[in-house]
Amino acid sequence: MGKFILRRLLLLIPILLGLTLLVFLFIRALPGDPAAAILGERATPAGLERVREALGLNKPLHVQYWDYLSGILRFDLGRSFINHRDVADDFLQRFPATVELTLAALVFAIGLGIPLGMLTAKRRGTWIDSLGSVASLVGISIPIFFLGLMLKFIFAIQFPILPDSGRISLAEYDIPRVTNFMTIDTLLAGEWGGFVDALRHLVLPGIALGTIPLAIIMRITRASVIDVMNEDYVRTANAKGLAGRVVDNRHVLRNALLPVVTVIGLQLGLLLGGAILTETIFTWGGVGKWIYDAVINNDYQVIQSGVLVLALIFILVNLAVDVSYAFLNPRIRYS
Amino acid sequence: MNHRWRYFSIAAALMLVLAACTGTQTSSSASASASASGGGGEPTDGGTLVFGGARLSDSLDPALTSDGESFRILRQVYETLVDLAPGSTNELVGGLAETWEGEPDGTVYTFHLRAGVKFQDGTDLNADAVVANFERMANFSEEFQASAYYYGQVIGFGDDSVIESVEATDDMTVVFTLKQPNPTFLYGLVLPCFGIVSPAVLESTNADDFENTTLTTDPVPGGTGPFILESYTPDDNATLVRNDDYWGEKAHLDRLIIQPIADPAARLQALQGGSIQGFDLVNPSDYGAVTDGGFQLVERLSFNTLYLGLNPSARENAAAAERTYDPPYEGESPLKDLRVRQAIEKAIDKQALIPAFYGDRGSVATTFLPETSQWAESMAGAFTPNEFDPDGARQLLSDAGFDESNPATIHFWYPTEVTRPYMPDPAGLHQAITQMLEDVGFVVVPHSDIWDDPGYLFDGQNGMYDLHFLGWTGDWDDPGNWYGIHFAYDGDDPAVQFGCAVDGLKDALDTASGEAETTARGEAWAQVAKLIHDNVCFVTLVHGDTALAFAQNVHGYEANPTGSESFATVFMDAE
Repeated sequence: MGKFILRRLLLLIPILLGLTLLVFLFIRALPGDPAAAILGERATPAGLERVREALGLNKPLHVQYWDYLSGILRFDLGRSFINHRDVADDFLQRFPATVELTLAALVFAIGLGIPLGMLTAKRRGTWIDSLGSVASLVGISIPIFFLGLMLKFIFAIQFPILPDSGRISLAEYDIPRVTNFMTIDTLLAGEWGGFVDALRHLVLPGIALGTIPLAIIMRITRASVIDVMNEDYVRTANAKGLAGRVVDNRHVLRNALLPVVTVIGLQLGLLLGGAILTETIFTWGGVGKWIYDAVINNDYQVIQSGVLVLALIFILVNLAVDVSYAFLNPRIRYS
Repeated sequence: MNHRWRYFSIAAALMLVLAACTGTQTSSSASASASASGGGGEPTDGGTLVFGGARLSDSLDPALTSDGESFRILRQVYETLVDLAPGSTNELVGGLAETWEGEPDGTVYTFHLRAGVKFQDGTDLNADAVVANFERMANFSEEFQASAYYYGQVIGFGDDSVIESVEATDDMTVVFTLKQPNPTFLYGLVLPCFGIVSPAVLESTNADDFENTTLTTDPVPGGTGPFILESYTPDDNATLVRNDDYWGEKAHLDRLIIQPIADPAARLQALQGGSIQGFDLVNPSDYGAVTDGGFQLVERLSFNTLYLGLNPSARENAAAAERTYDPPYEGESPLKDLRVRQAIEKAIDKQALIPAFYGDRGSVATTFLPETSQWAESMAGAFTPNEFDPDGARQLLSDAGFDESNPATIHFWYPTEVTRPYMPDPAGLHQAITQMLEDVGFVVVPHSDIWDDPGYLFDGQNGMYDLHFLGWTGDWDDPGNWYGIHFAYDGDDPAVQFGCAVDGLKDALDTASGEAETTARGEAWAQVAKLIHDNVCFVTLVHGDTALAFAQNVHGYEANPTGSESFATVFMDAE
């Protein structure tokens, strides 16, 4: 196992190096000019030239790439073209917001997806199953921005029981940002009311972001549980008179979980990359909106460094998922 | 089975419990509507206002900002030597300088600073502090210069600088000596990027070291304004607190929180949901929803203009730059004929655009300068505008030799992925004007490109489009900031964006730019406006008003067409 993890970690080096080159070239191949984005309608040919010079965009490509790469080797992700902020600081400030939103979405998706998947599998062919299939299809198909706006309209405006946007009620709670995890910072500040308020702010965006993963997890769970229920050992367990609950938990669910864990791992990796639509609709200052704004503004430094860090996180999450297989299924051995 | 239902029930119950925890969110929404009938009355101190802007500040170093959203925050913290009177675009009032001397046609400006003003870090404002700020900006490195747009425009770097010297002649007097008269110099100094920062803070934040400056990112008590920037979390909020040691009338609010909400619809929802109590740039199509929802709509008269750029040389320019567009440009541009350009202006019903795209709030742009400008009238009096007249447009096209068998074909561009206060819906405006042009016999070939892409801004400003939308929001109230910037000659060549090669325009521009005496200056710029409009080098379309929305319990906000607005006068009804 140790060797396996070490090998995977070593593989990170060529992967990330390739990625830096790919992203570096890709964003420069796209139409758009950071200098034009900065100056807007005030751009003049001379002004554009001055900004390009100042940003180092007039240097040959290989020199620009080397500047970028040598910065990374010194753990320096650079500064944004647009606001001069340190990219690493900005990432660390936004990433906790994304993590909180991701966890809320996954709690919603897993908390409902696995039980509903089990239920529809056990009730295969009944109206419950049909209803579940239709619901999951709707869940996968519904556009997030539409769902988000509807959730806000219904639960924050028509029936104002939940907050409409943001991470905390700013007018009520002045929470010092220590970790940038709002739930943790409220507790550190000793604000129980703020903690509940932060949780309440997670509900609607969590549902909006978690709906597609919920539908996917539910469908995978259902298919996997149906497969496992047809296995001989389940029939044996039932035949020897074990209680239904014991069979479900010990024999069916545990064996059916492997593909579900894979899907959850992939979803986790994807969600940690940020959710542009959800973050925009709910004014959630996470990494998705950050990268999106950088792309819109051609802020090369933020795009290339931000994508690199997110890719690293995605790869590490996947590695963690692979490692978790061994714990879920002792038959899996890595060598 | 029971066990599974238990999972389900627990998850559902958890959501219900969280939803049922009726916290402050609901109560703040309720209080907003409950006090809607409260009215303004005597200002009351206290309270927290959460205000939705489109985004936060690009930088926290005022000298490095140039956009309205950055100015919104930083003008509450940093103050300039002179300021605009509330609601005015051109009446100057004292800022950090209590009085000043200097004539538009002179080269010496003397500013007498207010006594007893302290920076928020406790140090005193004095003449040396002002000199240190201007010297710092003048000595900006290349990297900083790229962001210090307005210093470059108003004053200029290096040899381009209009300033000969800045000196502290005594502890409270600063004298600016210019190389030559510059009648717009004082107006430029009103911009928040010329806000004076405490020299001690400049030093402690390494403000002149591009790699290590923290002034751009960290909230510091560096200004003299009515609010202190207490915290700043990018993409989340900027929190300002009242400066209790402010030299002037102190702010009423305890705290002002600016929250960035990019989407106008989301800003409206946040106001409706009660998480904010005011926001800027209401979508014109939402004006009804704001007033019907029991909120206040605060109108900001226009200081912007949408125009249609016409370039008779666009096809030659595109060919020279080896640009190929789809569909391709073919043949000679009909815009070379003045009658065709006049026909375009006569074909457009500018008034019809206002209810359709500006929520009925805006005005027809007869000249480039909006009606809020002190110069608008003299510009408009200088020429006879081509009023909407479809029959006249058809006749002009016919006179120019165009008919159904030989139509005037024009390539008409609009930008995508952008809205501007003067251009709320580029695609819709394009469609509407295309229809008007086709109604009089033009054949319109539509083109679009992304705004930030060099394809639109770059190619448009480099004169490669027959017809294109663009606009301008004024920096200060002077025709030079409008006609001058757009039509200035490059040597002997007319501005490439319009290719407006009109006899006498270069001389007229030179005369107007160099004229410092106010009346003569107005007449000189009116002559420029006449040459440009008579020759239809561009068609000014609409001055779009913008609006803010507030909850009923918020009072005292005074909008200014230039966006020069203070939150110090804002107060909220007591709970």
